[in-house]
Amino acid sequence: MKINDLSLYSRYAFRDLTRSYSKILSIIITLLISLFILSAILTIEDSLENELNENSKVLLGGDLEIDYNNKEGDRSLINQVKSFSTVSQMVEFSTMISTTKNKNNKTSFTRIKAVDQNYPLYGEVIYEPIGSLENLNKIDNTIIVNENIFKNLELKINDIVKVQNKEFKVIGTVKVLPDIGGAFVFGDFALTGKKTLDNLELNTLGSFLNYEYKIRFDGNENKDNKINKIVNIFKNDSKVKIRYPENSTGGIKRIIDNFSQFLSLVSISAMLIAGIGIANTLLSFINQKNSSIAVQKAIGINSVNIKTIYYLQLFIILFFISLIAYGLSFLLVPIVDKYISDGLGLNIEAFFSLTNLSIVFLVGLLVIIIFSIPTVNSIDQIKASSLFRNVFQSLQFKYSKKSIILSLFLLAILIILFSYRSSLPYYSLIYFASFFVCLAMFFYVSRLIILLLRNNLTNLGISSKIAVKNITQSKSITPITVMSLGLGMTLLLTLAFVGSNFKREIAKSIPDIAPDYFFLGIQNNQKDLFQKVINETDEDAVIEIVPMVSAGIVKINGIDPNTYISNSNDSYWVIMNDRRVSWVDTIPKDNPILEGSWWDTSQPNKLQISLDSKVAKDFGVNIGDKFTLRIYGREIEGEVVNLRLVNYQDLSINFAMLLNPQFAKNIPHEYLSTIKFKKAENFNEVNFLDQFPSVSIIKISDYLSKVTDVLNKVFIAVSIISAVTVIIGLVVISSAIIVQGKIKTFQNLIFKILGFSKKEIIISSIIEFIISFLSIILFSTIFSVIASKFIIENIFQLNWLFEFEIFLYVIIGVGLTTLALIILTNLKYLSPKVYPLVRNE
Amino acid sequence: MSKLLKLSNVNLNYTIDSKSINILKNISFDVDYKETISVVGESGSGKTSLIMLIGGLEKVSSGNIFFRDSELSKMNEDEISEIRRKNIGIVFQSFYLIPNYTALENVSLSLEINKFDNPTAKAKEILDRFGLSNRFNNFPSQLSGGEQQRVAIARSVAMKPEIILADEPTGNLDSENTHKISNLLFNYIEDENASLIMVTHDNNLANLTKRKITIKDGVISENK
Repeated sequence: MKINDLSLYSRYAFRDLTRSYSKILSIIITLLISLFILSAILTIEDSLENELNENSKVLLGGDLEIDYNNKEGDRSLINQVKSFSTVSQMVEFSTMISTTKNKNNKTSFTRIKAVDQNYPLYGEVIYEPIGSLENLNKIDNTIIVNENIFKNLELKINDIVKVQNKEFKVIGTVKVLPDIGGAFVFGDFALTGKKTLDNLELNTLGSFLNYEYKIRFDGNENKDNKINKIVNIFKNDSKVKIRYPENSTGGIKRIIDNFSQFLSLVSISAMLIAGIGIANTLLSFINQKNSSIAVQKAIGINSVNIKTIYYLQLFIILFFISLIAYGLSFLLVPIVDKYISDGLGLNIEAFFSLTNLSIVFLVGLLVIIIFSIPTVNSIDQIKASSLFRNVFQSLQFKYSKKSIILSLFLLAILIILFSYRSSLPYYSLIYFASFFVCLAMFFYVSRLIILLLRNNLTNLGISSKIAVKNITQSKSITPITVMSLGLGMTLLLTLAFVGSNFKREIAKSIPDIAPDYFFLGIQNNQKDLFQKVINETDEDAVIEIVPMVSAGIVKINGIDPNTYISNSNDSYWVIMNDRRVSWVDTIPKDNPILEGSWWDTSQPNKLQISLDSKVAKDFGVNIGDKFTLRIYGREIEGEVVNLRLVNYQDLSINFAMLLNPQFAKNIPHEYLSTIKFKKAENFNEVNFLDQFPSVSIIKISDYLSKVTDVLNKVFIAVSIISAVTVIIGLVVISSAIIVQGKIKTFQNLIFKILGFSKKEIIISSIIEFIISFLSIILFSTIFSVIASKFIIENIFQLNWLFEFEIFLYVIIGVGLTTLALIILTNLKYLSPKVYPLVRNE
Repeated sequence: MSKLLKLSNVNLNYTIDSKSINILKNISFDVDYKETISVVGESGSGKTSLIMLIGGLEKVSSGNIFFRDSELSKMNEDEISEIRRKNIGIVFQSFYLIPNYTALENVSLSLEINKFDNPTAKAKEILDRFGLSNRFNNFPSQLSGGEQQRVAIARSVAMKPEIILADEPTGNLDSENTHKISNLLFNYIEDENASLIMVTHDNNLANLTKRKITIKDGVISENK
């Protein structure tokens, strides 16, 4: 085609579009919604990543971090660093804060950061009142707590609280800390001065001590040189981990990636469902232009050129919709920013990305072309000779070998584009495969409905007969209704089942088997007193108390495991940092041995290790393999003598590694305890802390309710977003009904002439809907049960149950909404005006 | 009242583009039982509008229409539908068959809504009577014009209505089919003692009726 011709046909396309865009409004709407979601995901994801990258130093808290874990660190080495950089020392620990009012004192398990005057090196702490942060290091025994603690403990400024058994004055509240690093701040937190630390009894294990030194490079010397200097200074200190800004945000980035991965799949699902509607609406549009196209052919414009005009119209729509959708996505950024800044202290801004705009356009283009090929090809069916007979054949989708291959090729490009960009390409491919299998299944379901109903009209009432005829007629909207609504409902049901099962499994642990409290940091000399105090509080309390030390896995069979076990390994957490280990005389009831045998008591001087069987499998460890553990700075080699099945979900005391007591009992240790009370109301946390100030108390229900709360929010957000696929499905159905408009009007006219009442026609619409909907429910339920069961049992490794209540809510919600929409859309065809129709207007 | 149909000072106005157009003005006439009437006049004179009013498919702007003793002009749509269902058959120039129903289904539809026993058998009987016994399972697109109009007539007479309204029933047919259809229609009317009001441009057809009403500019100019 020459440039002049293209320019001419572009003009025709533009003119045609501006005069008849209302006929393809549903294409515009569905395309806009689905491209908007995709744009929003890309825009927000980029803004978040940009914020994380630009502020990685702030999030880390420095240009570099020296992490000594639970050791104070080698001061001589730190002083060497101080000679060429600014160092801010921070010690984090967990402990209990309790109020000291006379009545109804409360406690809170809190993560406290003891900071020095240099904190923060980067970023800003948002706190009030002014000056309270500086006063932490000027006035002893002062503390700034986060807003949640302030609210839950009903505190006021200058109130006195107890941290362990020391009194602290609350001098402010903190809203946001800049150095949240790689994790969400999940629990409550507070700040205190570094000097204050010395007044507290901190034990290594119960307090989850962490010594960190944040470094800021000042001056003009090359940053890399300084980094190399620091690496050199600490090269022989095996206790140290050096963290850089680029790996400070790994946790958040992973969460963002996973979330946007999921949302991208939702958006592409919405686009593909919209594609079904696009094909249908476009066919109707071309059908209405039947005579115009015949005239164009009669005057000498060939099929190829006519098709070009229609493709150009689609291209024009897509171009403007992409721009509008992408532009609108910027409006979401301030909303997301408010939500994130409140929770995480991150501030995001929207910025224009040509890459993202191109992706939005390209995805839209691929979907439109894939679904419009068989539609636009129907133009070949129109003959100029029809003008002479005044008989215009109703057009159908036209498939040829070439067009099918082209559609499949473009579909493959779309799938690859999505999968390549996603953080979990394998899961994306599985998702696409499942999507198309579902689509095909629903298509055949609609065909099956039509086949079964076609010859079964006897013994039906008149409304039912009309409903059945509407379903089985050649231009029936049943296939579109079943496919689009079926897919949307399958997705929504799957998510609802996953969410409800997950929440149920988490919630059920509390009453059944989980203890009421965990107690950490019980010192050796406090053990007997502790048990006595608990028994006096509640003689029926079930106490489990085990010894605990911290041990790091230095070598497995003589090799550093960090050299061959990657951080994507499921059990990487075992070697990431030092782990708590314990020892018991007898096999724990809930940890049956799967391989090997229990302790060989004839060898008390040999370290024997009992290992979690899953960890063994993930690390490729067998019975007889040697582990070198570092305990209190000493390296000790032990042998794996058995593998246990460990279920961490029962919230009782579980350890990945157990040691033989004959060897381990002489190692200096603390105790960890769980208590399940019969009379929990007798237990007073504040009084307990007066006796055991260094012990930390974790109330299980508090943490599980926090987890459930977060999960609730996530699943609500996810469900709402997924509901967009149902909305798109409804728009598609509505457009299909409108497309049928002329047929419906004509049919209803005849019904009116024959004496049908409106009620009979409405009833037939309802029956038509019910027949389709019942089959949708059946197959959506089957697919969503399979998918959710797979996700819950294989990915989360929880138990799956069919949640009938959730099922009912979703079905009823979607069903009623769809029915209302169908009736509303059909209303305008219910009472056709006879006069204009009889006059052929 | 001994008349089947009575129109009294019937007016019909339409508002198009906010302009009021008088279609029919002060139309008054009666129709006896078993009477055949043709309505003639130029294009746009209001003939089709008159048929629509009598069939209850349009509402009068003023005046009264009585069908037996029931005043159609005061009834709601459901009540009129009930009357039309049982007592009035309508035949159009463009047939207006439901395109995705077979000939048999198009005819049995009017029997089924009236809860007729064994509507399929009755529909077959009627189609057979109209010479369409080999066309039961054909869709309208598979029938010739004449066959389609025969199906349309069969559908309109299925419930043995007291009055048949025909709007240019042979308007889209060739002369041979016109002859066949008119014979069919009038033979049926005679056999079943039904009344007929027929709009037509065809004088030969008009002459087959007992009375001729001429409408000019929305007014009856002749009634004899």
